[in-house]
Parts: sequence; structure tokens; C-alpha cells
Amino acid sequence: MRIVWHGWRVLTASRLWALLRKEVQQILRDRQLIKLLIIPPTLQLLIYGFALNPEVHNLRLGVVDYAQVAASRELVSALTANRIFLASSYPRSEQELAGQVERGELTAGLVIPPNFSKRLATGDTARVQVFIDGVDANSAGIASGYIQQILRRFRPEAGVLPPTPPVRTQVRFLYNPGLTSSWFFVPGVIGLVLTLIATLVSAVTLVREKDSGTLEQLLMTPAGAWEILLAKILPLVVLLMGDVLLALGLGRLVFGVPIRGDPLLLLALSGLYLFVGIGVGIMLATVCRSQQQVMLTAFFITLPMVQTSGAIAPIESMPAFFQALSLLNPLRHYIAILRGLLLKGVGLEALWPHALALLVMATLLMAISVSRFRSQLS
Amino acid sequence: MRRVLAQCRKELLQFRRDRLTLGLAFLLPLLTLLIFGFAIRLETKVIPIVVQDFDRSPLSAAYTDRLFATDQFRPAPWRGDDPVADAIDRGLAKAAVIIPPEFSRRLKAGQPVEVQVLVDGTDTNNARVIRNGIQGTTAFFLSEKELLTNPPPVQALTRLWFNPGRKESLYIVPGVYAVVLWIFPSLLAAIAMVKEKDKGTILQVYASGIRAPELLLGKALAYLLVGLSMAVVVMGLGGLIFQLGFAGDPTPLLVGTTLYLAAAVLFGLLLGVRSANQNAAVQGVSLVGFLSALLLSGFIYPLSNIPPPLSLVSALIPARYFIVISRDAFVRGTGWVGVWLDVLMILALAALLYLVTRRSLGSLQLADGGGGGP
Repeated sequence: MRIVWHGWRVLTASRLWALLRKEVQQILRDRQLIKLLIIPPTLQLLIYGFALNPEVHNLRLGVVDYAQVAASRELVSALTANRIFLASSYPRSEQELAGQVERGELTAGLVIPPNFSKRLATGDTARVQVFIDGVDANSAGIASGYIQQILRRFRPEAGVLPPTPPVRTQVRFLYNPGLTSSWFFVPGVIGLVLTLIATLVSAVTLVREKDSGTLEQLLMTPAGAWEILLAKILPLVVLLMGDVLLALGLGRLVFGVPIRGDPLLLLALSGLYLFVGIGVGIMLATVCRSQQQVMLTAFFITLPMVQTSGAIAPIESMPAFFQALSLLNPLRHYIAILRGLLLKGVGLEALWPHALALLVMATLLMAISVSRFRSQLS
Repeated sequence: MRRVLAQCRKELLQFRRDRLTLGLAFLLPLLTLLIFGFAIRLETKVIPIVVQDFDRSPLSAAYTDRLFATDQFRPAPWRGDDPVADAIDRGLAKAAVIIPPEFSRRLKAGQPVEVQVLVDGTDTNNARVIRNGIQGTTAFFLSEKELLTNPPPVQALTRLWFNPGRKESLYIVPGVYAVVLWIFPSLLAAIAMVKEKDKGTILQVYASGIRAPELLLGKALAYLLVGLSMAVVVMGLGGLIFQLGFAGDPTPLLVGTTLYLAAAVLFGLLLGVRSANQNAAVQGVSLVGFLSALLLSGFIYPLSNIPPPLSLVSALIPARYFIVISRDAFVRGTGWVGVWLDVLMILALAALLYLVTRRSLGSLQLADGGGGGP
């Protein structure tokens, strides 16, 4: 008990404590900062969680049916049965259909030839024409895949057969059996929001002090560079941890995103990631001279960081060079950790490479920031 | 009008004097274009998967080879005997295909076989692509080995329009133009406005007798010019690098870009007027501008997927209309027929932004200037 009391007195009497108190008071006075920490993350999580959905469905399909028989109508209803296609127009001619696809009014067009039923009756293969708007290459690929898949199983009069032998692929989706898209996006958006806020807030606060000269006053006090920096970082980490809790709570309550892994590990690694984010911000602040520059560069850095992290678009789809480069992206590792702990329910035994990468990056960034910070004295 | 031009000239002079910012203002959009243009791909190729073959027969080996014959899948390096715990949990593989022991024997005897496919569902889009890919390859394998009992009677001749090779850069790059030309001009304008307030020079501006709309138009014009030169650089180099030429009449793009940049600059000025310090200004841009231009504009994921109440939000985002214009100019080429409505929508949103900014600036002048308004 006495030791604790003694430790407490030493701590409160220390320079670091005084600096910490100053920073906390400064932050608490800054109402806008508090608002910033609460409103944008909440809005972003809610909007993107609900709005983003990579699923391809309700594609507008135009149909030119020259055959006009029961079998051709069956084909159309087979294609539109599962909401992937929506038969939205029945143009009279191929030209009319082509015009609609060209103007982007339709995503796909289907032309059923006049000899459709005759060929079916004689046992020949009936060929239908499919036009797909290829501007969105990804959706076009998925749409054409679906059409092939449905046609493979289509039998006139019997409709769409269940996937028939000889080989049946029994597909099971692990971790997210219903493929709820918000479960994919919520961890991504959490990582994105934390990166943006941690980097921008730390960079801008530091540069502002540099701009107004108060930083030089601080550097002139007997406090060491690391003490000044630590006093700046610790309260930010605490505040941003609040954001982590807020985001996880929203994910859990609003979107039902599970937390299958160890929650304590999740918090610890999130804290580690915050150090990285803040470290990036401080680095930027030591490099840049004005607020204008720091903001431009902060945006410039965070944009590709988000984009190559797998938060929104999958990493596997990037060219090999960028995939290798993305190993240097801390957000990529944090997103892997988030998805691992929230959805997969794995622990350090699977995530240690990512945790190690974050640890190395945090240490490096902090070391560089402190040394650069010190060199600014001269 | 003269005062508007004078204000614009002053603003440009100030902007030019800061060499580093000037350099950054042109370099950063270009680098963003390059990174996005080269790195963003949605279609996943070379997905690492694990095949666990309990049959070890020539037929099952042929099936495995078929899976890896296209560039869609590649074998994942893994050790152990539980593909879920050892490969998928660790993120080494995205899917596992488990071939049962009696695969070859049952197939030859004409009995159905069940191949188990376990797919990592954390990335929902990818998961569907993987499922479709494996099912498609299986069907191809069966028809190749002539194992199908009754071949499908209907076949599709598929033709992809505008983009027969499914080059994704054709889709991504025109979208990147929209993102870059929204973020950077609005950011520059926001910073310029906030700086005026931070340094207190806004009081001098009030005292100078210039009226609020003149100040606003002058600043907007200056940054519109900056934005236009940015657009020329970005689109010019983007066109060269990604080999993107005009597909049709370029006038809708010309008009659309000017209006779009005006909207971006006005949006930045509005944020600048509204926020008390730069920190908040940046956060404002970052929240509303950057992420919505990126995520709610149809840049990456199709707009048709956004559910009803939120689709109204996306209707207010100029980037979504500009993306349509830019994709039309560089890929589709239908000209005014296809995009007149989008140009009008940007015009309407720009006008709305001007009115809101004008109002915010007016009220601010009264509050700060103590009745020293026009």
C-alpha cells in the first residue's frame, strides 16, 4: 500500500504528469475535438454499414423474345427468379435493345431467336444472345457467370433443375454463413475511421503548436522530447480507445457483428494500432511546415492506405506488386486482426504475424518521431 | 465584376507564392490517380485455395489440375491436415475443396459424388466469386471429361459491350477522376477560407468594402481555375498512361467538369466558412467529401445496391453524376443524349451549394463584423 502511494506521489510530482494534465485540459476545452471523436465515426459506420453492398442483384434486363413460346418465357422467368436480374423492358427489336444497353438504361440484354422452340424440339442446342454492359467489369463478369450457371441447369418444361449429379459441389460459407455484407464492411470501416481520425488529429494538433510557436516554448522547458510527445500521445490514445469501443458497440448492436475472439486481445491490438496511426500523424507533422501541407499530405497518405488495406476492395484482386507493397500498410494488418478476432474467432496463434508487424511499425514510427522531434530544436 | 476578378487575382497570387503547396496540389492528385488506377481491382484473380484430395486417383488429379488451370485460383502453401484451422483460419487460403475418397470409383459407376467446398465468408463479394468459379470449373470439368448425363439444351453467346476484354481500368480510372477532382480542389478551397479566418484577415476583407457574394465568387473563381488546370493535368496524363481516349463528343465532359469543379470548390468554401478551426474543416471534408465521393458515388460498388433511405443521400452527391459523365465520355460515348440529366443535376447542386455558402457567409459577417456588413 505504501509502495503504491509512494509510486503515485512520484508520478504526480513528475514532469510527465504535469504535461499530461496540461494536454488533457487542452483537449477537454476543445469541444470540437470531442464532437469530432463521436459524430463522424458514428455516422460513417451507420451509413457505410447500411449502404455498401457488393452483391450483384436487380440488374436491369431487357428481353427481345422473337420466339414467343412457353419455353422462351420459362427461360426469362428462370433468369429473373432469384432477383439477380429484373426483366425491366421488352423492346420490340434488337436495335431498340442495343440502344438501351448503350445508354446505360439496361445492364444486360437477352435475345431469343425465332428458331428457339424448333431447335429445342429437335434436340439441337438452342443459342440465345446475351449483351452485357461491360463498363463495370466486375459486375459484368459476375452477371455473365450467373447467366451461364442458370442456363446450365435450365431444362424446358422442368424449369431450373437442382444441381444434378454426377458431381455436386456442396458449398459452405465459413464465419459468415448468410454472407451479410455489413459483417464485411463494419470491420473495414472501423479501421478506416480510426486511421483517418488518429492521423489527422495528431498531425494537425502538433503542426498547429508548431505554427503558433507554443511547441518551441515547450521544447525550451527542461522536459525531454519523449516526455512532451508521450504527454501528447497518451490522452489521444485514451480518447481514441473510446472510439474503438463506440465502433465495436455500434457494430454489435446495430449490425449484429459478432465478437468471436478474445475481447481483451482485440482492445490491446487496437491500442497498438492507434500508436501506429498517431505515429504516422506525428511523422507528417515533423516533416511538414504548414497546416496546409500537413492536411494535403495526410489525405494523400490515408487515401491509398485505406484503398490497399482490403477494407473495401479485396487485397487478392490487386496486382502482385501492390499486394507485396500492402504488407507495409499497417491498416492491412489491423483489418486482418479485426476480421480475425470479430468474425473468425481466432487468437494470437493465427494473428501473430500481423500483431508483430504492427508492433514493429509502432516502435519504428515512435523512434523516428522522437528523434526527428529532437532535431527540430536545432 | 471587377472586384470579383481582383479578388480572384489576389487569391491566385497568394496560392502561387506558396511553392510547396503548389507542388503538392498538383503532385498529390497525380500520385493518387496512379495508385488508384493501378491498384484498385475488384475482380479477384489468383485466389489461394487448398485442395484436399482423399481419392488420389488420376481423375481427382485431373479435377485438381482443372481448378488451377485458369488464372482464377492458385494452390495455397500450407501444412497440416485440417484445411480450416491450418489454412483458412490463418488467412493462407480463401477456400478449401475437399474431394471424397470414392470420387473416381463413384463417378465411373455413374453415382453422384459430393465435393465439399468451404469458403471464407469474411469477404462476402469474394466468397460469391469463389463459389461461382468453383462451380463453373466443375461444370467445365464434367463436360470436358464427357461425364454429363444430359448436356444443357440452351447455350448463351455472351457479348460484353464497350469493354470486351473486361479491362477494369476502363471502369476505375474515370471514377478516380471524379474522386480526385472532388477532394483536392475542395480541400484547397476550404483551407484558403479557414486561413483567412484564422489569421484574422477576414476582418480586413470586411473593412475593404467588398461584398460577400463578390468575395465568394472571387475565391471560387480562383480555385475553379486551379481545379481546371488540375483536371487538365490529371486527365491528360491519365489518358496517356491508361490509354483512355474520348469515346464520343467531349463537350458534355467539358461542361460537366467545369460545373463539377465549381461544386467542389463551393463545397470547400462552405466548409471553410462553417468551421471554427482548420481541424474541423479537414474533418468535415474528410467525412462528407472524401468518403462519400469514394463510397456512395458508384465508384466502387454499384449504386443500385444502396437501400432506399440512404439512396436519397447518394442522390445529393455530385460525384455520382460526374462519374456517369466521365464514364460516358471515355468509355460509352453516347454524348449529350445519355448524360444531359447528370449535367443538370450537378448544375443544380452547385447552385444549391452557392446559395447555402452565401447565406452562411452573410450571417457570419454580421456576427463578426458587428454590423459592418454591406
